Amino acid sequence: MSTIYSAFPTPPWATTLILLGIAIVLLYMARSSAHGAINSLFRALYNGLRMGSRSVALAEQRLSVRNRDVLLALGRDHAERELNREFFRINKFVERDLGGYPQVQRTIQEQITQINEDYKASAEVPPPSPEWVHAVESVAKLHVEKGNNSLTAQILEDIYKASEDQHRDTLQEYRQAMAERHTRLRQMAPYWRKLSNSIDQVGKHLQELVTRAQNVDRQMEQFQEIDRGTDKAARRLKASNSIQFCVALLFVLFGVGGAFFNFHLIALPMSEMVGAAARVGGVKVSDVAALVIIFLEITMGMFLLECLQWTRLFPIIGAMDDKVRIRIAIACGTILLVLAGVEAGLAFMRDQIAADHAALRASLAGTAIPAGEAVNTWIPQVTGMFLGFTVPLALTLIAIPLEYLINTGRNVFGMLLEYLLRLLSIGLRLLSAVSRNAGRLAIHLYDILIVLPLWLEGIWLASRRAARAANDGAELSRLDSVDSTTNFYSGTKVSKNA
Amino acid sequence: MRNWLVGVMSLLLFGCSDGGQQINSYQRGVYLLLDTSGTYTEELVKAKQIINYLLAYLEPGDTFVVARIDSASFSEKDIVAKVILDARPSTANKQKREFSQTVNDFVANVKSSAYTDISGGVLQAIEYLNEARVGRKHIFIFSDLKEDLPANFKRDFDFTLDGFTVRALNVTKLRSDNVDPKEYLERVADWQARVVQGGGTWGVINDLDRADALAL
Repeated sequence: MSTIYSAFPTPPWATTLILLGIAIVLLYMARSSAHGAINSLFRALYNGLRMGSRSVALAEQRLSVRNRDVLLALGRDHAERELNREFFRINKFVERDLGGYPQVQRTIQEQITQINEDYKASAEVPPPSPEWVHAVESVAKLHVEKGNNSLTAQILEDIYKASEDQHRDTLQEYRQAMAERHTRLRQMAPYWRKLSNSIDQVGKHLQELVTRAQNVDRQMEQFQEIDRGTDKAARRLKASNSIQFCVALLFVLFGVGGAFFNFHLIALPMSEMVGAAARVGGVKVSDVAALVIIFLEITMGMFLLECLQWTRLFPIIGAMDDKVRIRIAIACGTILLVLAGVEAGLAFMRDQIAADHAALRASLAGTAIPAGEAVNTWIPQVTGMFLGFTVPLALTLIAIPLEYLINTGRNVFGMLLEYLLRLLSIGLRLLSAVSRNAGRLAIHLYDILIVLPLWLEGIWLASRRAARAANDGAELSRLDSVDSTTNFYSGTKVSKNA
Repeated sequence: MRNWLVGVMSLLLFGCSDGGQQINSYQRGVYLLLDTSGTYTEELVKAKQIINYLLAYLEPGDTFVVARIDSASFSEKDIVAKVILDARPSTANKQKREFSQTVNDFVANVKSSAYTDISGGVLQAIEYLNEARVGRKHIFIFSDLKEDLPANFKRDFDFTLDGFTVRALNVTKLRSDNVDPKEYLERVADWQARVVQGGGTWGVINDLDRADALAL
């Protein structure tokens, strides 16, 4: 800067003023070109950003459609599985409970027959009409016709005795019959109860069947909605998907924690088997071996669940013959059990090594572990072995949340990407608007730099306009004076010119 | 393609090997020099504790050597005990026990030497650790750093200590240091200069109770 000033003989402030004046004049002279350049630059930027925003918006729309398709396909598959499972349950229910319906019907029929028979047997038999009534009637007539005598009185007396005896016998018989009927009716009570229970049972089964049928109807309705691809179904699936993703992620994290614990359980004893000195890529070979065992267990567990059709991560396994699948499942289960047993052994060995380390440290420090004060060794040993055996088996179940995580993660990440693209599109749009206004601002700033010549130009133009207006006014007045005699519309002409 | 395959195979083979002549950057080598001159032998009980601490700290694959500083220390004969810890932890523990016992025996029966050849001991340590091809090399000098060489012994060479960490432990103050503490400071500064000029890292640890003092 000082070299520039030294090139001029004038003082620095004067040099600065001169240079500033020259720069302003140059900027003024280049004004229209500079405005054009600024306009072109910011318009190009604006167009580019607008185009980018539109492209991103289109990509977002395409992704949204694809996400929706994936979501609906996933939901359709899920609904199909649910329906299949429900039909399977109904089939089982029908086979188990309603399959025995003929038996129940036969039982009910037998019970009804039995009750019917008992009912018939308990019907009231009308007492026999007394035979002596006719005799009494005849004797009575005799008494009326021939008058009262001792013979008749004797006969009547005999008849009375006989009738009394017969009445007593008849009454006794009647009472016996009534007692028998009551006994029959009492015997009917258990059959009634059985019948009532059987009917209740059938009623419950039918009610459950109705409930299941309603469930199937509801699921079928959902399936049809998904199949039609309605917005309602898509919204429901989206919400359900996000929740399932979070839950699955949580469980997978639990699984990772379990694997981490398992790793620490077997890493130390593995160093006894494969050595702790060698490393691969900075990681001890024993640690790698422990990780391999854990991954192997998880893999076996995943294959086992896949063969049992609990998960469907590998369609090829699902498409296999049932016998082959069962054989693979048995093989995987066996390997898993063996590995779990190995881990139990390693956990035992870990305890031994840890005890050896503790003893060494104690001896190096010049102290000894008091035998009586030490914690019972068998508790951590047994616990370690138990955990060594059970944790690998528990880790196999990680395949279920993992499947959910993979299935739902695809859509969740798709949604996130969709939101990101939408944000990017909005951001680019905002930038394009900013760039357009920035162009205007740059032009105004440019004009501020050359405000003095612009002001002078304004004054000059105004004076020129005033002079021209004065000239035009004089000319018009001259023409008016010439035309006023000939042209009726001269006033209009003047106003137009003005 | 062929070169690429060869490269991958080489990487796998060398990556999975035990090292052989390759430097294993994760293995540590510790060389502890014990000053046995004059009255400093009384300090060796502390050294025993340090050795035990280091033994507990070292892992399978590490190398540990304890050597004495006597009148002529540039010799393998001055090595009291040495071990390369086995890859199996149980065997390594056994080696540590034997090592500790050897050091205990040495400390119990040590005899004072007439002179103190620290430079020779350091040179021996450098030679040994370079030969051991370990990744991290540590030299501990358990001494008052007062060198006293026999006649005709030349120790005016420069050390090559690139990648070495040298720490002086329990640098006791001598009677003359109390008269003129500058002697002590100059002694320590001289050793620091020799180590740093040789490319090594220098440190002095007098407070052995500090937990991080002997961290490798």
